[in-house]
Amino acid sequence: MKGRLLLNNHYIRRFVKGWEIFIKNPVGKAGILILSVFMVMALASFCLPLLDPMYDPMTGIDPDIILSTPPSISHWLGTDNVGRDILAQLLEGAKVAFIVGLSSAFFSIVLGTVIGMVSGYAGGWVDALLMRMADIIMVMPSLVILLILASLFGQFNIWLIVFIIAILRWPAVSRVIRSQTLSLKQRPFIEASRVAGASHMRIIFRHIMPNVLPLAFLYMTFRVTSAILVEAALSFLGFGDPSQVSWGMMLQWVWKSGHMFQAPYWLIPPGISISLLTLAFYMLGRAMDEVLDPRLRKEGQS
Amino acid sequence: MSLLCVKNLSVGYETKAGLIKAVDNISFDLEKGRPLGFVGESGCGKTTIGMTLMGLLPDNAVLLGGSMEFAGKDLALLSEAQWRAVRGSEVAMIFQAAMNALNPVYRVDDQVKEAIVTHNPDICDSDLNKRVQELFDLVEIPQERIHDYPHEYSGGMKQRVIIAMALACSPDLIVADEPTTALDVIVQDQILKGLKEIQSKFNTGLIFISHDIAVVASVCEDICVMYGGQIVEKGRCKEVFSKPRHPYTKTLLGAYLSLDNEESIVIPEMGEMPDLTMKSGCCRFSVNCTVCSTACRTDRPQWIDISPTHQALCCDEGFIKDKP
Amino acid sequence: MTRYDSGKKGPLIEMKGVTKEYHPRKSFFSKAGNKVLALNAINLSIQRGEIFGLVGQSGSGKTTTGRLLVKLEEPTRGKIRLNGERINDLAGEALKNFRSKVQMIFQDPYQSLNPHLSIAETILEPLMVHDIGTRESRRQKVVDILETVGLKPGADYYSRYPHQLSGGQRQRVAIARAIVLEPEFVVADEPTSMLDATIAIQLFRLITRIREQFNMTFLFITHNLAAAKYLCDRVAVIHEGHIVEVNTAENIIKSPEHPYTKKLIQVQPGFRYNR
Repeated sequence: MKGRLLLNNHYIRRFVKGWEIFIKNPVGKAGILILSVFMVMALASFCLPLLDPMYDPMTGIDPDIILSTPPSISHWLGTDNVGRDILAQLLEGAKVAFIVGLSSAFFSIVLGTVIGMVSGYAGGWVDALLMRMADIIMVMPSLVILLILASLFGQFNIWLIVFIIAILRWPAVSRVIRSQTLSLKQRPFIEASRVAGASHMRIIFRHIMPNVLPLAFLYMTFRVTSAILVEAALSFLGFGDPSQVSWGMMLQWVWKSGHMFQAPYWLIPPGISISLLTLAFYMLGRAMDEVLDPRLRKEGQS
Repeated sequence: MSLLCVKNLSVGYETKAGLIKAVDNISFDLEKGRPLGFVGESGCGKTTIGMTLMGLLPDNAVLLGGSMEFAGKDLALLSEAQWRAVRGSEVAMIFQAAMNALNPVYRVDDQVKEAIVTHNPDICDSDLNKRVQELFDLVEIPQERIHDYPHEYSGGMKQRVIIAMALACSPDLIVADEPTTALDVIVQDQILKGLKEIQSKFNTGLIFISHDIAVVASVCEDICVMYGGQIVEKGRCKEVFSKPRHPYTKTLLGAYLSLDNEESIVIPEMGEMPDLTMKSGCCRFSVNCTVCSTACRTDRPQWIDISPTHQALCCDEGFIKDKP
Repeated sequence: MTRYDSGKKGPLIEMKGVTKEYHPRKSFFSKAGNKVLALNAINLSIQRGEIFGLVGQSGSGKTTTGRLLVKLEEPTRGKIRLNGERINDLAGEALKNFRSKVQMIFQDPYQSLNPHLSIAETILEPLMVHDIGTRESRRQKVVDILETVGLKPGADYYSRYPHQLSGGQRQRVAIARAIVLEPEFVVADEPTSMLDATIAIQLFRLITRIREQFNMTFLFITHNLAAAKYLCDRVAVIHEGHIVEVNTAENIIKSPEHPYTKKLIQVQPGFRYNR
């Protein structure tokens, strides 16, 4: 396809302008703050085992400890029932949450955006067919589906979970992108491109896509929250990837080993982390909403 | 006798780029029985004047100074509560594309009734119905149609309802902001005729704002020509049109296309938009003026009398008073 | 400067018995609902090199006529010919070829330019779509055409974005985009109705200059009879889907025949003035 999107300082300028509005919003500020904390945690998860192999979340066993102990100098959050460091597990869980959340959100956005644009632009039976498919998938309870699949096929690899969440979650995105496309389709500059002789592909990717991308990114933040929650639920119920330590997995271990009420230092951190991280992404989404929709901005900002 | 006396009015808008002075130190008088027109192009401030006269400025607008004497009070000093009493009963407005101001889920006569009842809460039903019938007769809408919904009306009929609502409480002053811009030229003709009849019948004060000089000429007796937030020429329509003196007025008239243009049109060289952040009191037309000197950019323009009823705002008195 | 043989005989554009109906659908399954007759068997012919005016009020069908001529929509019935050849069933390469010959200037300068694209990218698009020239020659063509439409120096405006331009400047860009392929026929759909009168006059002058320089044919759609008289060679008056009168611009004002034309002339607000 001839003519790439020329990324020049126009996009950077718009980004900077958006950022200014975003950062004034207290919700956005709080969201960014919380997210940064978790990002640091996720990055730290790489460093910690290097310090001392005893801090490896899966295999790190303190030679002195073989059962669950409360927080101490060498283990800031204590240890789990086989003596592994809880903080290390928490950091590792942050990394997994980011990977799962962001990748499955990314894939569902890509899928949802392309389908939404094609559906809105083509109209007719293509639109009808795609949107009926979207409706059918949308009403399926994703967690239940995943559980059924898991019980049929055994334990899931983490990437399979990501993939299936994406497949089940694109419809919500596509609906929004489709209606945005429908309204864009009528705009004179799109008609001007048609009159100039532009092909449908060119119009979709060169004219429509840049206008719907901001909305797609906004919805990505919501997809992230639901992906993290689904993965946590799956792991908690025992269907997660056994080779990964995630917060949901931690909760499962607490429960299974019978330490639910005896070890608050083990139970609370993963629970709070799940809530805080999803809250942070949600706050991000709300603040972005204000950037994207000029009508929601406070006075004197547009 | 002056119905409305505006002196040194300035209105600005707070924006990220700073304070934009949309109206810069304007003064004018509205005579009873002589409709006053404001004509100018985009950015000249005419709509802002209309909004200021109704107390309908947005939140980021600032009244920077001046007074608006009307019926013994200064409109510039009214609080929102006081405005609510004045708006509709003493000063009424006909907006641009006002037909979109009709609520689609209520019948047309109910909406007119609402306009009356707001200022006359104690009116009895029979008086109310009589008044509604009078109003619809006045704007020439047949009685059998008054109970319809807005979507059943044509654009011209909707505009007539808006005029009826403006007249509902017999205001002393009507501000009409581009009332016929969105209408067919044939419908426009009917509306303008109707407006003129009503104005002369009730001797209501009328301020008519438009970018279309011909429309203003057909309704108004007096005119103010605006550019960049300043009035550049004002006076009786007859005089201003037969002896335009300000370079901008000449440009505006020069660009006007009529059906019987025998002479060739003068193509204006204008390219620049007016600078609304300019220091107060400077000539804002100087960026586009073909006859101005360097002195014009720094000197303060003065009001120059061409006749007792015709003035122009310029730095160069000789230019204004000479024959063109 | 022209790319085609101007010695061809016959009108450039011909519309015969063209009807356009709209059927608003009640639901996906039923076709019920009143049909709207936007154009009722109209006939129109436009000669090469003329500026032809189509004057009508809202709902008259003037915009629909323009859209049919650039194939944004298809007629329900009737034939449209360009240079004697039918354009009703064009597809593929033939359609693309048609698009290089017929272009449009839209009414709203604030909506007809993609806000995400620079001026250069907007004007380059037709050149890229039709694979014209090399990267260097295309760039030069854009700069040249910007100067032709009065945006000087062209290199300055090259990298700007629509939001940095005024309404009049944006409309000049829209004109530049329409003429960059040097089409034979350009439909100008109320190009000045959203602009100030002083700017509109400058654009009329520009269109006249372009017609002389490139020998282009224009259809000027407007609701303003006086503007049509100023700019156009011949004028057609359209009312409720019918063409009621066609004549030279001067004659249609001096000796109108149809009662609707007479009414339009009568209601035009006018006044006495000196310059």
